Amino acid sequence: MALLLALSLLCLTTCLLPQAEAIWLTIPTSGTKCVSEEIQNNVVVVADYYVIADEASQAAHQIPTISVRLTSPYGNNLHHNENVTHGQFAFTTTESGNYLACFWVDTSKNVEGAGPTVSLDWKTGIAAKDWETVARKEKIEGVELELRKLEGAVEAIRENLIYLKNREAEMREVSERTNSRVAWFSIMSLGVCILASVLQLWHLKRFFRKKKLI
Amino acid sequence: MSTRKAPCRYSKISTIIFALTLSNVIYHGFALSISLRDFECVSEHVLYAGDSVSGNFVVMDHNIFWSADHPGIEFTVTSPGGYLVHSLEGSSGDKFEFKAPLSGTYKFCFRNPASTHETVSFHIHVGHIPNEHDLARDEHLNPINVKIAELRESLESVVSEQKYLKARDARHRYTNESTRKRVVFFTVLEYVFFAATSSLQVLFIRRLFSKSFAYNRV
Repeated sequence: MALLLALSLLCLTTCLLPQAEAIWLTIPTSGTKCVSEEIQNNVVVVADYYVIADEASQAAHQIPTISVRLTSPYGNNLHHNENVTHGQFAFTTTESGNYLACFWVDTSKNVEGAGPTVSLDWKTGIAAKDWETVARKEKIEGVELELRKLEGAVEAIRENLIYLKNREAEMREVSERTNSRVAWFSIMSLGVCILASVLQLWHLKRFFRKKKLI
Repeated sequence: MSTRKAPCRYSKISTIIFALTLSNVIYHGFALSISLRDFECVSEHVLYAGDSVSGNFVVMDHNIFWSADHPGIEFTVTSPGGYLVHSLEGSSGDKFEFKAPLSGTYKFCFRNPASTHETVSFHIHVGHIPNEHDLARDEHLNPINVKIAELRESLESVVSEQKYLKARDARHRYTNESTRKRVVFFTVLEYVFFAATSSLQVLFIRRLFSKSFAYNRV
């Protein structure tokens, strides 16, 4: 019993340690740092960000604050936060395209050094699925939950493949159209060349006849 | 279904907690694009030594005008000890994989030798498979968890390959669109210049034979 409790505590503490899921970005003291991702329509996006306190900021007893802005492909502002040290946002995409998240440091405080480090945990699609609620709702646990996750991953792989196939088909259409256009425009340019020279000759002949030179 | 039908309530909770820990540690990966002007670094934390770190990156620059392909960027991976673990030069997109010698924060750096601004789409995945040491240390870890972890890593490698293909497909789209636009624009420009040149030629010849020009010739 005590061993089980100890193990549970150990597991819980490892959960609370900084998760190895996030990437760390260094925000420059001037200018913005932007990350973007091309996301399809109707995909769940969950993101979490926090400023990492290193020794310099801990010595100064203040964590540098950052500002975030998330824009959709059509320019709509999905999330905007100023002067915070952590935050999160979650939404389902309604437009397919490039989603841009920009971070910048407040210019009010003077930050020395390379700038603050932000840990960004950005999950889309199947990685953003809340497995804990699924486990609680359907009362599955352990191996079955892991297998359910693997099943979700396989579904996501299949959807991605179908998406890639469709994109490739669209691109092939564009390629074929460009190919036929190159042929047509080249022949047309030859036709324009011949037409121009014929017009020139005709005009000059008329001109010289009028001038009584011919 | 759980094979551990323990009558004790605590064992169920600890299993759930452990399952959650397992899920948090193994399953993650990104496919983000970052704008690269000169030098950009992304850090990722690796929890266990011996984890396999895999990923790929593709340069999405579409501002090249004359040359056929991108000159390439420099990609380096630095371990927490400061050693260079992996290095690539002059590539416009590649996959990488290595076994992390230490646990800690690894830095993945991109350096742009050209002066033009670029976008790099990258994907990094850190995978951990419980080994015998973890199995011996924890009673709740079955060999089946090891197999599930291996299966998950294989699926993650497929996902990683898909993200690489998706990034390359996006890159090809840019090239295609650029080709289409160039064909239309330069052809129309060519026709316009052609018409302008031929009319200028005719005008000049007319001027050669005009009276004022003829009178000015001595």
